Amino acid sequence: MSETTPIITAREMGVVGCRRCTQVWPQGTEICGRCGKRLQLRDHKSLQRVWAWWSVGMLCYIPANMYPMLSTRTLFTVQQDTIVGGAIELFTHGAPFVAMIILFASVVIPLGKFFAIAYLAISVQRRSAASFGQRHLLYEVVEYIGRWSMIDIFVVAILSSLVQLRSLAAIDPGPASLFFALSVIFTMLSAQSFDSRMIWDMQSRDKGEASRGH
Amino acid sequence: MVTDAPDVVIEPQRKSVLSRVSFVWLIPVAALVIALGVAWDSYSSQGPLITLEFQNGAGIAKDETTLKYRDITVGVVEDVGFSEGLSTVLVSVRVDKDVAPYIDSGANFWVVRPELTARGVSGLDTVLSGVFIEGVWDDVIGTSEARFMGLENAPLFRPSKPGLEIALRATANGQLTENAPIFFHGIEVGRVGKARISPTTNYAIAEAIIYAPHGRLINNSTRFWDTSGFSVNIGPAGAEIDFTSLATLVSGGLSFDTVVSGGDRISDGEVFRIYEDEETARNSVFNASEVETLELSAIFEDNIAGLRVGADVELAGLKIGEVQSVSGVIDRATFGDSRVRLNAILSIQPARLGLEVEASPAAALNFMAGRVRDGLRARLTSAGLLAGGLKVELVESAQPGALTIPDMTATIPQIPTAESEMRDAGASIEGVISRVNNLPIEQLMASAIDFLDSAQDFVASDELRGVPEEAVGLLEDVRGLVSSDEVQNVPVLLNASLMRLEAVMAQLEEQQLVARLVGAVDAAAEAAKGVDTAVEGVPELVAALQGVAAKAEGLALEELVGEINRLAGNAATVIGTDAFNALPGDLSAALGTLQATLNDVRNGGVIENANAALASARSAADAVAVAADDLPALVTRMSGVLDQAARTIRGYDRGDELGRDVESTLREIQEAAKALASLAKTIERNPSALIRGR
Repeated sequence: MSETTPIITAREMGVVGCRRCTQVWPQGTEICGRCGKRLQLRDHKSLQRVWAWWSVGMLCYIPANMYPMLSTRTLFTVQQDTIVGGAIELFTHGAPFVAMIILFASVVIPLGKFFAIAYLAISVQRRSAASFGQRHLLYEVVEYIGRWSMIDIFVVAILSSLVQLRSLAAIDPGPASLFFALSVIFTMLSAQSFDSRMIWDMQSRDKGEASRGH
Repeated sequence: MVTDAPDVVIEPQRKSVLSRVSFVWLIPVAALVIALGVAWDSYSSQGPLITLEFQNGAGIAKDETTLKYRDITVGVVEDVGFSEGLSTVLVSVRVDKDVAPYIDSGANFWVVRPELTARGVSGLDTVLSGVFIEGVWDDVIGTSEARFMGLENAPLFRPSKPGLEIALRATANGQLTENAPIFFHGIEVGRVGKARISPTTNYAIAEAIIYAPHGRLINNSTRFWDTSGFSVNIGPAGAEIDFTSLATLVSGGLSFDTVVSGGDRISDGEVFRIYEDEETARNSVFNASEVETLELSAIFEDNIAGLRVGADVELAGLKIGEVQSVSGVIDRATFGDSRVRLNAILSIQPARLGLEVEASPAAALNFMAGRVRDGLRARLTSAGLLAGGLKVELVESAQPGALTIPDMTATIPQIPTAESEMRDAGASIEGVISRVNNLPIEQLMASAIDFLDSAQDFVASDELRGVPEEAVGLLEDVRGLVSSDEVQNVPVLLNASLMRLEAVMAQLEEQQLVARLVGAVDAAAEAAKGVDTAVEGVPELVAALQGVAAKAEGLALEELVGEINRLAGNAATVIGTDAFNALPGDLSAALGTLQATLNDVRNGGVIENANAALASARSAADAVAVAADDLPALVTRMSGVLDQAARTIRGYDRGDELGRDVESTLREIQEAAKALASLAKTIERNPSALIRGR
C-alpha cells in the first residue's frame, strides 16, 4: 500500500465491523447481530487504555530488571542473577550466543514493544514519517511477538519446578520473574487496547483536510 | 461513492469527564500506589547502619553474610571495605530496626567460622552457608553507637550465658587450653577462656566463667587443679587409669573443689591458681603461705645444668621458696657478650621469711633489699651429693654495700648473684673419685697374688719340707756322736786323767808344805769362783740352744720332738752308765785330792790354764748364743711381715676368693709359726732335757 493510493476505510463507507466476528454492519448498529458484541465505530478510550497499561507495564519492568530473576541455590552458595547480570555473566563465561538470546528476548523485545506501542499511540494523534501501512505492520508484529516474551517466564518456571533437589541444589524464581511476567502481560494488554483502525483515521483526516483544501 | 459522507454523523460525546476516562487508569494508579507504599515501607523499616571493624574478613560477603543474635538473623552485611591505611576490615551491617536500639556500647561482635577442636566441631553450619557475624548485647537500651571493634574469637562472657567471671593463673607447667571445660564432680559447670601471658608476671592468665547456678560453689578456699591427661597408678588394688573425660585427655580441663568449708563468697574478677593435681590442690589449703609470692630474678653467670623448676630456694638452710621458671637469657646490651646465661625466677614466700611486719611481697622485697645491701647473694649449689640436682642458696658472700637490687620497682626485681659453689664441690668430688679411680688396685692385687703364690711355693717347696728331715738327720748325727765310743769313753779318760791328776797331786803333796796348801785352798776358792762365773753363761747357752732348736722349724714337729726326746733318752743312757754314775764318787774323791793338791797345781800353772780354758769355752758359748739370737728375730720379723700382710689383705675384700686364699695360706703360716712357738716353748720349758737328757 502506498501513500498515493489511499485506502477507503469502513467508516468512510458507512459501515462498522464487528471486532470479534468481523461481520460488517451498517453504521449505527449498536450490537452485532451475529455474536452479540457491542459495535463501536471507534474506541475513543483506546488510547487511554493503551497508555494506562503501558505505564503499568513500564512500572513493572523496572523491578523486573532490578531484582534477581533466578535464585540458584547449590550446596554451598546461593547465586542470584538479574536478567542483564545473568546475560553478562554468561557472556563472560564464554556463551555469547546464549547471552545474546537472553538479552534479545528479555531486554530488546520488551523495550522494543514499549517503544513501538508508544510510537503507535503517539502517531495516531500526530503526523508521522512512516506510512500507515508500515505502522500497521508494526502493530501486527508487536501484537504477534508480545506473547513470546513470556518464554523467559516459562524457562524460569520449568527450571524452578525441575531443579528442586532439596538441600543439594534448588532453583527458585526471583521476584523479578513475577514483575517481568506482569510487565509482559501489561504490555500485551496495552497492545491489544490499541485500536488499529485509528491509524487509518489519520489518513482520512489528511484526506479530508486535503479535500477541504481543494 | 460515499466520499462526501456527512461529518455530523460523528457526534461529539456528551458524556461526563468520568465516563470519558477509562477505568483502566486505576491499574497504573494502584501499581504506583503499591510501589510507593512498598518503597516507603522498606525505607521506614530499614534499621540503622553499623560499622564493625575486624582484623580480617575471611568469608564475609556483601549482601550475603548475616548478623545473628541468638542464632536469629537481625541484619545483613551491606558493604565490606577497608579502613584508612588498609589496617582493618570495615563491615557495614544493616541491622533490623527493632533490634538496633539495644546495640549499644556494650555489644560485642565476632565472626563465627567452622572450628574443629578436640572438644568437637562448632559452627558446622557455616561450612555450607558461609560465615556469619554473631553479636551479643544486653537487654538494656543504651546510647547507640555506629562503630564497633569486632572480636577475634567468641567472647567467654555472654549475656545469654550468665555466670561467675573469674581468672585462672597457671603455674609454669600448667595447661590452660582455650575453651577447656571446668568440671565439678564430673559435671561441666564452666569454661576457660583464651589464655594469655600476663605482661607483668610470668604467669599465664585465662579468664574463666562458672555458669550461673554453679557460681555459688566457688569461694575463696576453692582450689582448681588440672585434670588434663591421665594418670596411671599401680597399687595393691591393681592398676588404675584415671582421666576425667576423653576431651580433657586431649585438650585439657580443670576441676575444682572447695576443700574446707566456710570460705568467703567471692565476686567477679577473683584470681585462682591452678594446681598440678588434685592432691597438691587439696594440700595447698593447709599450707599457711597463701599470700602472694615475691618474685626475684637471678641471672647466673655459669650455665650449669641441673637447676629445675621447683628446686628449693634456701636462706640459711631454710627453704623460703622455689624456682618458678628457668630460662636462658641473652642480653648483649647488659653483659657485653652474647653468651647464654641462666635466668631463674625465684618465687619466695614472704611468710617463710619470718618478717615482723605483714608478710606481703612488698615487705619481703624490702627485707631482701636490705639483706642484699648487707651482701646477700644468690648462688647455685648442689642440692645434695646423692640427689644430684641444684638449688639456689641465698648467702652473705660479698662485702656489704657492694651491690643493691638494681630496680626495686621492676615487676621482677633482680637479685645479684655470686659465683656458684657447685663448681668447687663438683671438682672435689671429682678429684676424690678420680683418685680412687687412679689407685693401682689391679697391680696391687696382682702383686699380692704373686706374693701369695710365691709364699705358697716357698711353703710347699721341697727344700722347706726337707728342713725337718735335715734337722732330724742333724739330731741323729748328734745322737750318733753322743753315743759314740769316744764320748762313751770320755768318763773313762776323765777318770784316768783324774787318777793321773791324783798321782800328780800326791806328788805335789809330798813336795809342798802346809802353807802352800792354804794358798792352794785359796786358789781353789778363786777357781771355784771362776767356775761359778763360767756357769753363769749357761742360760745364754740354753737360749742359744733354743735358737738352734727353733731353727729346726718344719712340719715334722712331733717327729722332731720325738727325736729330741730320743736324743735326751740317749743322753740319759750315756749319763746313766756305770762309769758315769761312778763319776761323782770319783769326782768327790778327786776333789778331795784336788783340794789337797790344787796348790801344787796352782804353782804349776794348771789352775791358770783351766781358767783360760773355761773362759774360752764361755766366749765360744757366747758366740753360739749370738748366732742363735738371729733366728728368733728372723721368725719374729717374718711373723710380723705375715701379720702385716694378713692385715693388709684383710683390709681388702674379705669376701673375695683371693682373700680367702690369702687367709687360708696365712692361717697355715700362722699354724706353722704356732708350732714353732710351741716347739720353742717345749724346749724352753724343759731346757735341761737338751743338756741333761731328761
